[in-house]
Amino acid sequence: MNLTRLALRNIAGNSFRSWVVILCAMLVAGLALATTLVIRGAENSLNLAINRLGADIIVVPEGSETKVEGALLMSTPANVWMPDSVVAKIANVPGVGVVSPQLYLSSMENSPCCSVSNMFLVAYDPTTDFTVEPWLKQKIGSGLNLGESVGGTYVFVPEGEQAIKLYGYYLTLKANIEPTGTGLDQSLFMTFDTASDMARISKTMAVESLIIPENSISAALVRVSPGVNIHDVAVEIFREVPGVLPIESLNMFQAYRQQMNGLLRSNLIILTITWALSVLLIGLVFSMAANERRRELGVLRAMGATRVFVLRSLLMEAGILAVGGGGIGLILTGLVILLFRNLIVQSLGLPFLLPSIPSLITQAAGGLGLAILSVTLAALIPAYRISHTEPAVAMRE
Amino acid sequence: MKYIGILIIVLALVIGILPQFTDCQSQGRAITTADGKTVPMKCHWTAVAELILAVPLAAIGGMLFFSKRRETRLALSGLGALIGVFVVLIPTTLIGVCASNMMLCNNLMMPTLVLTGILVVAAGLVNGFLAYRSNETMA
Repeated sequence: MNLTRLALRNIAGNSFRSWVVILCAMLVAGLALATTLVIRGAENSLNLAINRLGADIIVVPEGSETKVEGALLMSTPANVWMPDSVVAKIANVPGVGVVSPQLYLSSMENSPCCSVSNMFLVAYDPTTDFTVEPWLKQKIGSGLNLGESVGGTYVFVPEGEQAIKLYGYYLTLKANIEPTGTGLDQSLFMTFDTASDMARISKTMAVESLIIPENSISAALVRVSPGVNIHDVAVEIFREVPGVLPIESLNMFQAYRQQMNGLLRSNLIILTITWALSVLLIGLVFSMAANERRRELGVLRAMGATRVFVLRSLLMEAGILAVGGGGIGLILTGLVILLFRNLIVQSLGLPFLLPSIPSLITQAAGGLGLAILSVTLAALIPAYRISHTEPAVAMRE
Repeated sequence: MKYIGILIIVLALVIGILPQFTDCQSQGRAITTADGKTVPMKCHWTAVAELILAVPLAAIGGMLFFSKRRETRLALSGLGALIGVFVVLIPTTLIGVCASNMMLCNNLMMPTLVLTGILVVAAGLVNGFLAYRSNETMA
């Protein structure tokens, strides 16, 4: 009988003990994967949102930074305004390359066009824009004209319709942006002219009219000149333009990053406690098993099996249980996160994007590695002790 | 193998009960037609269909718990797995749920049904495999 068969027979011989070890391995591997998936998913989502914005600095009205970040990241309604004259003032700040104003308009509740209940409307100036227009020109070969829009991944034209109807205004959806896991997925981008036209039409055609305050903007996106320090430019904007707050792109979403760090800390504490308890429990189970099987292992030694063979058979048993339990834990955790990701996003208040397949495989391998390490470590001491007991002593006891 | 019967009964209870409290009807939401009448959203019909599937599934779980004949266990496992497939298909393709991912039917009811459906299929297949390999033929 070879080592694997012996280990499998032992596993089948004591199903209660095997299930305890499998459950512990499931917990350790599943929790490890869940922690890395959620935290890395939120981190990726934040970074992707910053890249998609494409600005070095975003200038918002003073005191509204959390609202703007919430709107961009979680699509929460934000009505923030500052005079459009700040655009010229920002453009005059040394080191500023391009400034492009944006309007953040009231989101729609339960709009029929979207698979999401809140939709965030962003209007941009096509003459200065450096975020949406270059992407559009690359994707569809041209920018947006009057009445045209581009949507996040959750925005679609309702079944049987030709256009999206918003505030009584018909918008053609030209393209969809790839998912980011953030509020951008449920955003609709249009030009300033389209937004003004929509506001005009809404006065007569919509139940609730779209209000855009005169000569106002919500934010200004800034790209600094090549070779200029972004932080220095942000400080200059803060000093020279009153009533606004420049946020460097790397410092964006600080509130969410803090929330994420808090979540990571709690998850790591839970994982550490679970890991320690699991190792203790598995160690206890293997000690009991080793004691129960003293005579059997003594006979095995008396028949010529070496100490190393006995040790390896016990560790092989632990390894098989760890791989089986860890594998089940990883599959279940992956399924739960995949299926319940919307609920997780809402409950945690964090954006989330599923990782790429290679990244997922790496994280799963990490979880499985931790499960194997934990079970093997827990089984090592009892396995070593029993394998080093003299056969005669083992059989007599 | 009796444990798999118990697991299937528990899953059937989840499949039958949870949708009754997470569909839009239970949350007080309904479609209002032009003449002012209210019509249940499609997630409600998914909840009804799941309840209809849960009853035979629970019965299969019970029979698996008591049955010892290899052929009976094989047949019950296959039938259970088939019901599991429909548990998944009803909220995803056959009837569906509401489109908004902010609604409870979309972000809780559907994923729970898909997960429990997959577990039912897995339990059926594992039980079928164990029954296939077993030598028990006594009633």
